Amino acid sequence: MNFKNIFSRKNRILLGELVRTDFKIRYQASFLGYVWSILNPLLLFAVLYLVFANFLGVGRDIEHFPVYLLLGVVLWSFFTETTNGGLKSIVSRASLIRKISLPKYIIVISGTVSSLINLLINLAVVVVFMVFNGVEFTWQALLIFPFIIQLYILALGISFLLSALNVKMRDIGYVWEILLRAGFYATPILYPLSMVVERSEIAAQMLVINPVAQVIQDIRYFVITEDSLTAWQIFDGDYRVFISYAVVLIILFAGAFYFKKTSGNFAENV
Amino acid sequence: MSDKAIEVKNVLKTFKIPLDKGKSLKQAVLGKGSRGYKTITPLNKISFDVPKGQFFGIVGRNGSGKSTLLKTIAGIYHPTSGAVKLHGSLVPFIELGVGFNPQLTGRENVYLNCALLGFARKEIDSMYQDIVDFAELEDFMDERLQNYSSGMQVRLAFSISIRAHGDILLLDEVLAVGDYAFRKKCFKYFEQLKRDKKTVVLVTHSMKNVEEFCERAILLEKGDIIFEGSGEEVAQKYEEMFVS
Repeated sequence: MNFKNIFSRKNRILLGELVRTDFKIRYQASFLGYVWSILNPLLLFAVLYLVFANFLGVGRDIEHFPVYLLLGVVLWSFFTETTNGGLKSIVSRASLIRKISLPKYIIVISGTVSSLINLLINLAVVVVFMVFNGVEFTWQALLIFPFIIQLYILALGISFLLSALNVKMRDIGYVWEILLRAGFYATPILYPLSMVVERSEIAAQMLVINPVAQVIQDIRYFVITEDSLTAWQIFDGDYRVFISYAVVLIILFAGAFYFKKTSGNFAENV
Repeated sequence: MSDKAIEVKNVLKTFKIPLDKGKSLKQAVLGKGSRGYKTITPLNKISFDVPKGQFFGIVGRNGSGKSTLLKTIAGIYHPTSGAVKLHGSLVPFIELGVGFNPQLTGRENVYLNCALLGFARKEIDSMYQDIVDFAELEDFMDERLQNYSSGMQVRLAFSISIRAHGDILLLDEVLAVGDYAFRKKCFKYFEQLKRDKKTVVLVTHSMKNVEEFCERAILLEKGDIIFEGSGEEVAQKYEEMFVS
C-alpha cells in the first residue's frame, strides 16, 4: 500500500461502487428504508431525554439541552456505527477476498464512508432541531467540520485495527461491544461534563483525554452553547490539550501499520 | 521487453493449520505454546514460465495445488517464498461472479462486478449492452439476482468476464457452464482468445479441453510439477496415471 496508489483512479472507482452498493443494500428489505438511519439515533435520544432530562433533571443548567443531547447522541452513534461496521468489514467480505486480489483497505474505507454520509444526514436533522429550539447560528459553527474529520480519522484508525484483529480472533467483536457500552457512559454524552468537574477535577481530565469526548464537547461548544465544557477549558489550555489529538494519530498509524502488515494473509486466514 | 507473460520462480506456499482450529482469545492467551500446527505445502518450490500469447493449461487431481497456484498467480495469496512476476495486466476469473450480490439487480451487479475488475463507469456504460446480449438476459436485467436461476447467474458472470480486456487471463473451471448453446458460445470465445494471441492460463479437469486448447500444460501432483509438455502429451499422461 503506497500512498500514490491509495486513491488511484481504479481504486476510486472501486471505492465509489462499494459505497453505492453498501447504501443500496443496507435498508433494502426494510419498509422504512433510509429513514431508519435517522430514526435510530433519534429514538435513542428520545428515551435518554425522557428519562434523564425530564425525570431526573440532568442538564438543567445547560442552554438548549435537548439539542445538546441530540448532537452528542448523533456523534456517538456515528462512532459506534463506523467502528462496528469496520470491525466486520473484512470478515464479512471473506468470499470476495478469497477470490479476487484487491486492495483490502478500500473495503474498510468504503464502510466508513457510508457511515459518514449517514452522519451528514443526521446532522441535517440536528439543524432542524436547532431551528425549533432557537439556537443561534454563528460562523463558529463551521468549526464542526475539522472536528468531524478528527472523529472520522479516529474511527478509521480503530476500524483498520479491529478489522485486522478480527480476522485472527473473532472475540474482538464481543470485546468491542463491551468497550463501546462502557464508553457510552464514560463519555459525557447524556450528562454535562460540568457535573463531573464538581465532583472531581481529575476524573473530568481523564474523561476528555478520550478523543470522542473531546470532539463532542468541542462541537457542542462551537455549534450550540458555550455551556459545553471543552478540553481546552479543563486543561487550562496547557500542553495536555494535545493528548487527545495525539491519541487519534497514534491509533491511526498503529491501525494502518498492523492492517498493512497482516492484510497480505487475509485471503488464507479469514 | 520480455517475451514472457508470467514467470513463476521457486514458489513455495505453505499453510499453517492449527490442529485445534480456533480463533478465540482464550486460545491465543492460553494455547500459544502448547498448540500444534500442521503445515501443509500445496506448492513445493514450483518454477515455470508462460510466454506471451500462449494458451497454458494446469491440470492435476483434487488437492494437487492447482487452485492455490492460480490464486498465487492472481495475487490473492502471497507466496511463502519465491516470486511471481507478471508482464502485463491480469484479469482473474478464479470464480465467476465475484462480488455478485443476490439483493442487487442484474444491472447493478454488472456495474459492481465490472468495478471489481477495474472498469470505470463510462467504460461499463459502453459495454453494458454487449454484456446483456451475450448473456441473453435482456428481459431480466432489472430483476434481483436472487430471482435468477443459477444458470442465468453464471451466464451473466461469464459475459462480464469476457469483456474484461487484460493481457493475461486466468480461468478456473469456467468451461462447464450453462446449456449446450451457451457452452458453444464460450468455446467460440476461447478460440477467439487463441486467435488473438492472448495469454491464457486455464485450470481444468477436462482432458478434452486441454488437448483442444492448450499449447502447453503442466501436471501437478502434491505440490510438484510432475510432467510438462504439449496439451496432448499432458492429457495422455494424466489419463495414463489417474484414469485406468
